[in-house]
Formats: sequence, C-alpha cells, structure tokens
Amino acid sequence: MTYVNEFLKKEKPADYYSKLLEELEEKNNKFHAFNVLNKRISDGFPISVKDNICVKGMETTASSKILKGYIPPFSATVIKRLEKDGFSVLGKTNMDEFGFGSFGINCEVPARNPFDETRVAGGSSSGAAVATSIMKYHAAVAESTGGSIAAPASFCGVVGFTPTYGLISRYGLIDYANSLDKIGFMARSSGDIRLLMSKSVGVDPADTTSVDVKLSDVKKEKIVVIDELYDKIDKNIKLSFDSSLSRLSAAGFKVQHVSIPEIDYSVPVYYIISMAEASTNLAKFTGFKYGLKVDDFSKEYNEFFTEAREAFGEEAKRKIILGTFIRGASVRSKYYEKALRIRRIIRDKLSKVLDDSFIISPTMPVLAPKAKEAESFSPIQNYSMDLLTIPPNLCGFPTISLPSDYIDGLPVGLQLTGGQFEDNGLISFGEQWEDSFKYKFKYNIGEL
Amino acid sequence: MEDEEFDRLLRVCRLKVSAEQRKKLKSDADDILHYFDRISEVQCDDIPPAFHSVDIDGRYRKDVPLKFDDVEGILKNTKTHRFFVVGPRI
Repeated sequence: MTYVNEFLKKEKPADYYSKLLEELEEKNNKFHAFNVLNKRISDGFPISVKDNICVKGMETTASSKILKGYIPPFSATVIKRLEKDGFSVLGKTNMDEFGFGSFGINCEVPARNPFDETRVAGGSSSGAAVATSIMKYHAAVAESTGGSIAAPASFCGVVGFTPTYGLISRYGLIDYANSLDKIGFMARSSGDIRLLMSKSVGVDPADTTSVDVKLSDVKKEKIVVIDELYDKIDKNIKLSFDSSLSRLSAAGFKVQHVSIPEIDYSVPVYYIISMAEASTNLAKFTGFKYGLKVDDFSKEYNEFFTEAREAFGEEAKRKIILGTFIRGASVRSKYYEKALRIRRIIRDKLSKVLDDSFIISPTMPVLAPKAKEAESFSPIQNYSMDLLTIPPNLCGFPTISLPSDYIDGLPVGLQLTGGQFEDNGLISFGEQWEDSFKYKFKYNIGEL
Repeated sequence: MEDEEFDRLLRVCRLKVSAEQRKKLKSDADDILHYFDRISEVQCDDIPPAFHSVDIDGRYRKDVPLKFDDVEGILKNTKTHRFFVVGPRI
C-alpha cells in the first residue's frame, strides 16, 4: 500500500493544511523535528526536506549556526522533480550539524524520539525520522553519508531507504563527503518509497556523478549474515534479529553466514575518508558568502574567517582539524590513501557476496539510547555505533531499513543491503515484509 | 600528535578555541588517530585506491557560462556594494 495514493483518494476538508500546520507547530515544541515549517503549503502530498538540501526561498542551515539566515536562490534537483509531480514541501527537518552524528544530538535543539522522549531520535536525519513517525500522510527527503537515513529510521520505527550512490542527483545538497553522500527517503511504507524513487532517479547534468540506469526488480532467495558484524550486536538486538531470520527462513529465504575479516576496518576507513572530504567542504564557510555574517569588514581576512568559524560546533571542528591533518603530505599515504585502498577491498568482497544474495543485519547494534547517555559517549564510541550502516554506505550499495520488532516499546530496525542498482529488489523485499509485519506508530498527525 | 602540530593545524584551519576546548579536542584527536592506526594492519599497497564508492565514468561539465535566473537571490545572501560582493581585506 502507499499512503500517497490513499491521501490522494481521500476527500480533504478546506482547512486541512492549516489544521495540519497548527497541530505540527504544537508537537514540534515537544519533538523538534522541524527547523522551519512552510506556512504557505496549501496543496499536494506533504514532504519534509532535511535541512542540508536546498529549497528555494526557504532557510537552509544544515542545523549549523554558521549557515543561520542562508536562503537558497534555487532548489535541489530532487525537490524540483518531486514538486513537479504533486509533492509539496512542508518544511525543513532537524539534523546533526552538517550530518556529523549518529544520534541527532550535535545541534542546537536535538529532536526527540516519538516512542520515548527521553531517548535520541538517531542521526543525522533525526527530524526526518521523527516527522515520518508522527505524521500519517507525509514522506521525508533525507540524506545519508554513513548511515544517516537508516539509523534514525530504525530508532523511530519508519522505513528508511538509501539508494545506490549516483541514482539521485546531489545537486543542491550541502556536501558532507562527496564520494559518500546519497539523497534518499523515509516513509511509512515501502510502497511510498517506490513511488518517491520513481519520481526522483535519473541523470542530472548538474551532478556529474549522477547516472541514468533502468532499475530492474531483482529477486533473491539467499540472505547473508556477516559474522564479524553479528558478533558485535547487543544481546537483546541479537535475539530479535535471530527471530527475524527465523521468520524469513520460514517464508522460504535461505539464510547463510559468511566471514569477511576486512569488514572490521570499515569504521576507521569510513571516518578517515569522510573527515578528509568534510574538511575541504567546510572551507567555504567564511562569514560573508553564506549564512552567518561577520560585520566588521575592516578585519584582515585571517582574523575575519577565524571569527566566522567560531560558529562551528565541536564535532565540525574535530572533523576540520583531523581531516586537514589526514590530508597532509607527511601522513596522506598512511591514512587517506590507505583508507581508499581498503575501501576497494571491502567493496570487492561485498560485491562478491551480493552477486547472488542480499546482506542482512540489524540496522543499529543497540536500542535508541537515552539522550543523556548518548551525550556522554566519546567520539570513538559514537563512531562505533555506525558499524552496521557504514559498510554498504562506504561502497555505495543501496539499503533499506525496515521496522522489525519492538523491545520495551522501542522500535528495532532490520537492514537489507543489495548490490549496485538493485534498489527495486530491496523495495520489493520491504513490500513482502510488510505483508506479514504491521508497523506501530504513536502519533498520526494529519489523519483523514 | 605533537602540541606544535596541533596548534599549526588550528591556525591553518582558522579555528580559535578556548584553552579548555583545545585540551579536549587535542585529546580526542590523539584517541581517534590511535583508533585510525588500526588500518596499518592491512597489507594493500598493490590495491588501487577507490576514490569513489562506485566506479564513475569521470564525466566533466562543459566549462561554459550558464544563465542563472535569480542573481538577486544570490546577492541577498551577501553584503553588496553595487554589483560587487563585499569581503574582508586581503
């Protein structure tokens, strides 16, 4: 089923959008899903847009103080395509600053998990997941670099889809790491994801990494568990995952275990590459072209830029410092180049497995932690939480995260990875999954 | 990382931080680099680097000017003098 088609068929009262906005404003004070709400929305199926994707005339900050006040004079290609097909932008969603985080807490006012407000929503697309979880007729345009769609989708109990790298144009996206960034979606059903994908994919002259590929609906009967990842999952998540595997086995899927020792290096490899790329991307924020303005133009440029860049949050500063160091001539081959070589090894090994199988794992190794607990994590503890979402993201493979269980009232996600351009196969798997597993939502704002 | 190297990086990156924040960022950087050092265990000198997550065909855009329909929109995000964007002194 698709919520989009259901919405289109239903009769809507004349004040539908104003009532929707009213209720959303009230709930947003509690959940902080939106940075901006579009008060002018008056028709179309509502979509929210992660705040690192440009929408013409709507403040876009990537949840960073350094971009406060930036109004893009253009919309991202994906937004233009969706708007042309009857989708309307409802607002910009909260996130970790520039996408730097796994829990949605690296920003001014973190989004809260609708299943338990004391817990994190997941990151970096925190607001996108919360908006999808609390609204009945809505879909979110989000973005993933190392798991920023899957992680919050899992914690907030919605479907998260990260397409093959290059399928959706990145034009209009505020880059985190160019070789890893992918625009994708969250929705309440896989059918809605299929619909959004059909309107969004395709080559774009403005993004030279975008591709024009006809997607086929690949069906696979074999699903593979990678032992090195399975061993690092929390006990309660493991039990839930085993039960999902049993259900799939009973439905006719053949479950196999494989060992890929190199996968253990995915997390450091990913962070080396992403920090190197992020540090160059953040160089353009200097206090006079975008967002925050330093008013004193009598300052010498080093002084001027330094003052502007005080607005970066701590994780952004950490990435700028380490990314710059890693790219330095004296250590480049030790860190950056080596990481790129290991990326190829991991990609080749995973490709081989994906020849005749999908790869399956939980989406996150833990349940959504309490916000206070997440705030106490060291950077390495934070980074390590991405161990299941990083391998496919590092290699540009598509993934779908599906709600698969509820433990103590909190959603658990199941992540399926396909080979390059097997996106539709994953969506079909999701549709099949939803035939026998019903998702739970605590809120249904905008219900008709 | 040596203290001198860390301070050089702060200057290169144009970041000014408090003494307390410097201490934390430096300590984090040391821990993270130690964590990154794990990759030295992998023997891969003969493997070509994968600059992208997938192989792309290396297309380039033509180096030609394009018309943009909202120049005023761009300028609204800057301080301007006539048609010029005002920036800091060099």
